[in-house]
Amino acid sequence: MVPIFTYRDERKLFAVIGAVIVAALIALVQLDAAKSGKPSILADAVTSAAFVVQSTVTAVAGAVHGMAAGIAAAPHLASQNAELREKNRALRTENARLREALALSPEATEIANAMSAIPGGIEASTIGYDPENVDRVITLDRGSRAGIAADDGVVNEDGVVGRIVSATPLESTVLLVTDGASKVPAVVQRGRWWGIATGTNGRIRLEYISQDAKLRVGDAVVTGAGRSFRAGLPLGTIARVDHPDGALYQSALLDPAASFGRISRVIVVPRN
Amino acid sequence: MPARSDEDIARTRAFWVANRPSETAAPAYVPGAPVWWHAALALLVALVFQTSFAPFFAFRGATVSFVVIVVAWYGIRAGTLAGLVFGLIAGTCEDALGGSSGVAWTFATGLVGLTAGALARSWISDITAALVAGVAGLTLLRYAAFVVALQMQNRPLAMPETHLHAALWQAALNALVAFVALQFGTQIGGRLAHRR
Repeated sequence: MVPIFTYRDERKLFAVIGAVIVAALIALVQLDAAKSGKPSILADAVTSAAFVVQSTVTAVAGAVHGMAAGIAAAPHLASQNAELREKNRALRTENARLREALALSPEATEIANAMSAIPGGIEASTIGYDPENVDRVITLDRGSRAGIAADDGVVNEDGVVGRIVSATPLESTVLLVTDGASKVPAVVQRGRWWGIATGTNGRIRLEYISQDAKLRVGDAVVTGAGRSFRAGLPLGTIARVDHPDGALYQSALLDPAASFGRISRVIVVPRN
Repeated sequence: MPARSDEDIARTRAFWVANRPSETAAPAYVPGAPVWWHAALALLVALVFQTSFAPFFAFRGATVSFVVIVVAWYGIRAGTLAGLVFGLIAGTCEDALGGSSGVAWTFATGLVGLTAGALARSWISDITAALVAGVAGLTLLRYAAFVVALQMQNRPLAMPETHLHAALWQAALNALVAFVALQFGTQIGGRLAHRR
């Protein structure tokens, strides 16, 4: 009988030892990072590597979406062209008139710019979402190297989007105001009634409002001055008021000001 | 390291059969562990898909977790330890890309790899229906481990009922995708083997 000899056992032993060492290393690095509350070196490495892939995929997906929309709209192009030419002519005329009006009132232009611009704001693009859709978070293509830090506020042209929860050198993560863990001090603009805006994983609920407050559907709700936001940024409008009998407070469901269907560009407002 | 001859393989196989008194014959085909770069590529595609498009394919608040399916596939094919390591790596990537879960996915997905590895070459891995149910079970197990890990990090889930609802739907969706993958995967694998 020829003795059986294979290299399989030896290789398997090395593989087992290697696997145990790798598993222990991953666990230790992650636990250490969890204790310190900062992203681990593994997280930094993964986000840095993912940055390139995610940016490319987002750009390609955007291009494909645009191309598909173009192809879908092809049959109507001729009529649309004529319509757009006419619109263009009208807009040129209006543009000339507005330029003249602005030239006459430079102060008005300056005020408008100051109102719309956010001093020190950092423009960023969305490149990713929570892989498991458990948290309402988005990933931005700018990180601590661009000056972004945890607890910075994030807005877009419509209103408040969320706040930064973590920032690696190349990327940062935003917790949206619609997430259940998000809490933002808020004020109903009409009566200056204070409350706390909490996410419902889709919309926003304004809680802890005094029973005296005369809330109405359609009332605008803005941020109160807090850790991440200055006062007066639009959060949403009241869609439903819940006024239970015997409760200490009333609450209201808001339609968010920002559209969370597809957020592409945002402005990060540094705290300092 | 020298390649093993057919004679060596036949002898090892005979030895294996002789030392398995409960089995009358060696199985016709025992799949080995996937090549490492196949597994890495599958994980990369799953992660890119989930971070780029998952919210747009959400159904009742839940999305298909291709990461769970890939880890379960690798664990069942490669065994306990390799499954654990692969699960830990996949979970670390998810924690890094999510950014707000600490290390919860690392340990939850590592547990999935470990459990899937424990099922390797058991009767469960031979029956399609059991495998599909196993994927659903692994999804729920992962969610439970995720919640426990979050609690241990003092980061409790804000809306547990909503998340439980989403987890149940995710288990169903993952099972459906696993079933489709098993059907098509078997057919494609069979055709490739026939060509060879």
